[in-house]
Amino acid sequence: MSENVLLDIRDLDVTYHSRSLLGFGGRSFSAVKGASLSIRPGETLGLVGESGSGKSSIANTVLGLVPASGGSIRFGDVELTSMKTRYPAEVRGQIQAVFQDPYSSLNPSMTVEDIVTEPLRVHTSMTRAQRRERAIELLRLVSLSQEHLTRHPHQFSGGQRQRIAIASALALEPKLIVLDEPVSALDVSTQNQIINLLYERRDELGIAYLLIAHDLALVHHISDRIAVMYLGHIVEEGPSDRIYKAPAHPYTAALLEAVPLLDPDAQRKRRAARKMAPVPETPRLSVAGCPYRNRCPHAMARCEAETPPAYPIAGGGTANCFLHAGDASSEPELDKTTEHVAS
Amino acid sequence: MTGSSTTPPHGPRQPRRLLVASSLIATMATGVLVLLGLLAVFADVVAPYDPLRQNLIEALQWPSSSHWLGTDDLGRDVLSRLIHGSRIAVIAAAEGTAIAVLLGVPLGLFIGYRGGWWDWIVMRIVEAIVSIPGIMVAIVIIAILGPGLHKAMIALGILYSTSFLRLARGVVLAEREEVYVRSARVIGASDSRILLRHILPNIAPPLIVQVTLTVGAVLLSEAGLSFIGLGVQPPDASWGTMLNSAAAFMDLNWFLAIPPGIAIIVTVLAVNLLGDVIRDSIGRGVAIAAKPEATPTHSGKPAPAAVAEPVVLPRLKNEVLRVENLEVMVGSGAGLPIITDLSFSIAKGETLGLVGESGSGKTMTGLAVLGLMGAGLRTTHGSIVLNGRELRSLSQKQMEAVRGNEVAMVFQDPTTSLNPAFTVGSQIAEVLRSKQGLSQKQAWARTVELIDRVGIPRAEERARAYPHELSGGMAQRIAIARALSCNPSLLIADEPTTALDVTVQQEILDLFRDLQGEFGMAILFVTHDLAVAADICDRISVMYAGEMVEMAGVDTLFSAPLHPYTRGLLEAMPHASDRNPPLPTIRGSVPRPGSWPTGCRFSNRCDFRIKGCEQRIPLTGTDRLVRCIRADELALEAAQ
Repeated sequence: MSENVLLDIRDLDVTYHSRSLLGFGGRSFSAVKGASLSIRPGETLGLVGESGSGKSSIANTVLGLVPASGGSIRFGDVELTSMKTRYPAEVRGQIQAVFQDPYSSLNPSMTVEDIVTEPLRVHTSMTRAQRRERAIELLRLVSLSQEHLTRHPHQFSGGQRQRIAIASALALEPKLIVLDEPVSALDVSTQNQIINLLYERRDELGIAYLLIAHDLALVHHISDRIAVMYLGHIVEEGPSDRIYKAPAHPYTAALLEAVPLLDPDAQRKRRAARKMAPVPETPRLSVAGCPYRNRCPHAMARCEAETPPAYPIAGGGTANCFLHAGDASSEPELDKTTEHVAS
Repeated sequence: MTGSSTTPPHGPRQPRRLLVASSLIATMATGVLVLLGLLAVFADVVAPYDPLRQNLIEALQWPSSSHWLGTDDLGRDVLSRLIHGSRIAVIAAAEGTAIAVLLGVPLGLFIGYRGGWWDWIVMRIVEAIVSIPGIMVAIVIIAILGPGLHKAMIALGILYSTSFLRLARGVVLAEREEVYVRSARVIGASDSRILLRHILPNIAPPLIVQVTLTVGAVLLSEAGLSFIGLGVQPPDASWGTMLNSAAAFMDLNWFLAIPPGIAIIVTVLAVNLLGDVIRDSIGRGVAIAAKPEATPTHSGKPAPAAVAEPVVLPRLKNEVLRVENLEVMVGSGAGLPIITDLSFSIAKGETLGLVGESGSGKTMTGLAVLGLMGAGLRTTHGSIVLNGRELRSLSQKQMEAVRGNEVAMVFQDPTTSLNPAFTVGSQIAEVLRSKQGLSQKQAWARTVELIDRVGIPRAEERARAYPHELSGGMAQRIAIARALSCNPSLLIADEPTTALDVTVQQEILDLFRDLQGEFGMAILFVTHDLAVAADICDRISVMYAGEMVEMAGVDTLFSAPLHPYTRGLLEAMPHASDRNPPLPTIRGSVPRPGSWPTGCRFSNRCDFRIKGCEQRIPLTGTDRLVRCIRADELALEAAQ
């Protein structure tokens, strides 16, 4: 994995400081603790977690919008965390982003042509005619047409706006696109259109995606690998299918099982069999011990004392859970409880 | 998603008369200003006399045929001086306003974007300037620069730049948090590019209004400064100096003050009125702009209420709510239909799911039952019967008694549906006291009981917490406790788990089920998520573009969906398939009210469309209902 890695995140810490009124004192909040991830060229890594898990903090740190407080992020040969101000142009154009809310992510005063060609204006010396030609090409890539060039964002539906955002992200032919909840603001019937579009363009153009979402099922459709985050920690990582079909960490299993089945009868049965996990008091990022221990039905004394390291899991990847402290080849016992795919 | 479904596509329309009046005002104001501009440019040609030519013999004359507006103390023609004064007025307004804009806007943009010490220092200076009367500041600046028109305008420019500075700073502070600014930073745009190209255009609308206001203010100030001798210097003609000399000869010829006075009033009034009209039209522009492509190209004529289809709904045992042929319109006049011909009923202890995407009208249905639709929306047809009583015929006051007591609602976002200024306990107790007449003590005891009942540990202590001190899941439990406080027979839950994490969603769904077992209320559960509906509902009604397209028991609906839209939705669910893309999709997007296709509203996205779909399709069936002329064929095909 060392040679051919596009993005390599090692032991990343992200801490936010809130300054008090007088400018001293104040509190700090640790959003990401010691996260390590890597993405190969053309690969899609799904980063899954609930609100407050730190997944968006990782995205914003990779994009250079939030400074890292520890660890390293390497993009190719360039160390990004050492950049105090902004990324050099050659890196900047290579990492693009699509954000969640298509209603506020497009500038209301700009036309579609302006929005889509803005990266070209900033990074290239193309003429106006060349840029327009490229804009038409980009719109075609996202199934929009030339007639849309002169329109403003408010004339489009949510799904179409997200297409425009994707066209703009593709303009510089980046190597990595950070997708931060790209479909969660869209209607169910248009979500899959965008997922399909992202999937097709990835294979055509060889782009790597860092796909951030709260819905494991959705992420699993287009990810090669998935990492699951809980309270700032990465608790499980591995091949997409293995995570989805045989989750090793109790939290991953809980995430999958929490989504109701589309078969009401099967859902009734599952509900009856559900183990009641203790309702947590406000979850806090623990100093030592497993971050999930106070919600975990499998919690042991050991989980309180030490933070579980990443144990290898049969089928690929790792899980930070003492249930897997034994032999990597032994079958994880969580498998039986998860039948989350509707028949 | 629900947010957009509740927003009407049109704002309430302005009455026609108001529009005509405002365009008349705009025309007149523009006319006055154009005239002023022409007079300023062609003053030498238009004016009958040289404004500076003195004739002491004809001093202080009243209006006559040779001097239409009379002459002043030195025998100069007042009309000519007025016309030449308009030149000064235009120069002054342009100069003063330009200085204010050029000084205030860039500085405001800069400090707003930079923040920190720059912002702090500049804002303190601005506050100091603003706290002193404006004319004093101008006098001080003129004392430094010396008197004269241009120096006075520099003084006024500096003075008025503070309002432009604050305006620009305010807009930047709001806009720089927008996602599009974040996107621009990701693209790699420099700070100055983000400021000038991305943020500045969005300042234009308030800026235009501020400019018109400033022009009026500068005109007045120039007149004032000239009047006290600090602006235009005699013998040059300006409206202010004319007033000055008129004041000295008030006793001999009072008419001298009238022409410059009227000129100042009319000009300032015209500028301000024009500013108002521009501001209004910008506001309207935004309202129109917010409306998505509502070009009613193939839009159906709104289904006339007269041809409401017969209700095929069977009577339920212990029926709590029965809605028949409900129609909701938005806008004045004929209006635009949002919900048409909707009929459904819910029995005691039953949960009916209202499932649909944005714009389907599902949220509006819940609000219509509560009688809580926003401005511009009204139920135009149908009946809503709750516990045997027709709600549509009740007065506002009677409806208030029904809400809370008989029907309650839980909203999507618990953190905004609870008032941040009060403790959660006091918000529940308040309902108990006003609706059930409990004493303070009784209400509090019952509140703690309820909070405990919805599964919150340490209820007594949590009752004294403020909403922001609770997690989303806890806050939603409180909102549920409040809704159930008066033991309503119907609970309307509008996407109550959509804003929550999946693991929390599961707990809240369990809570709903549990409470329904105990209290026995009927639940109208509004959601866009079919999986949630599968978990919580007994029966499901699928809505699309303002009408019901299918209704069935939950098991039947999921095992054998009949309407192509229901099938499409089910296939599109992320959990429904375990394969790589391409994932199944429904082509196109949900049409907005006003652009629904005639006949079957799903026909333009449907793979099974035939010629017959262009007619209005009725809801058919008895136990399970479907609005599709090919439902029987499709059911057969699915069974094979």
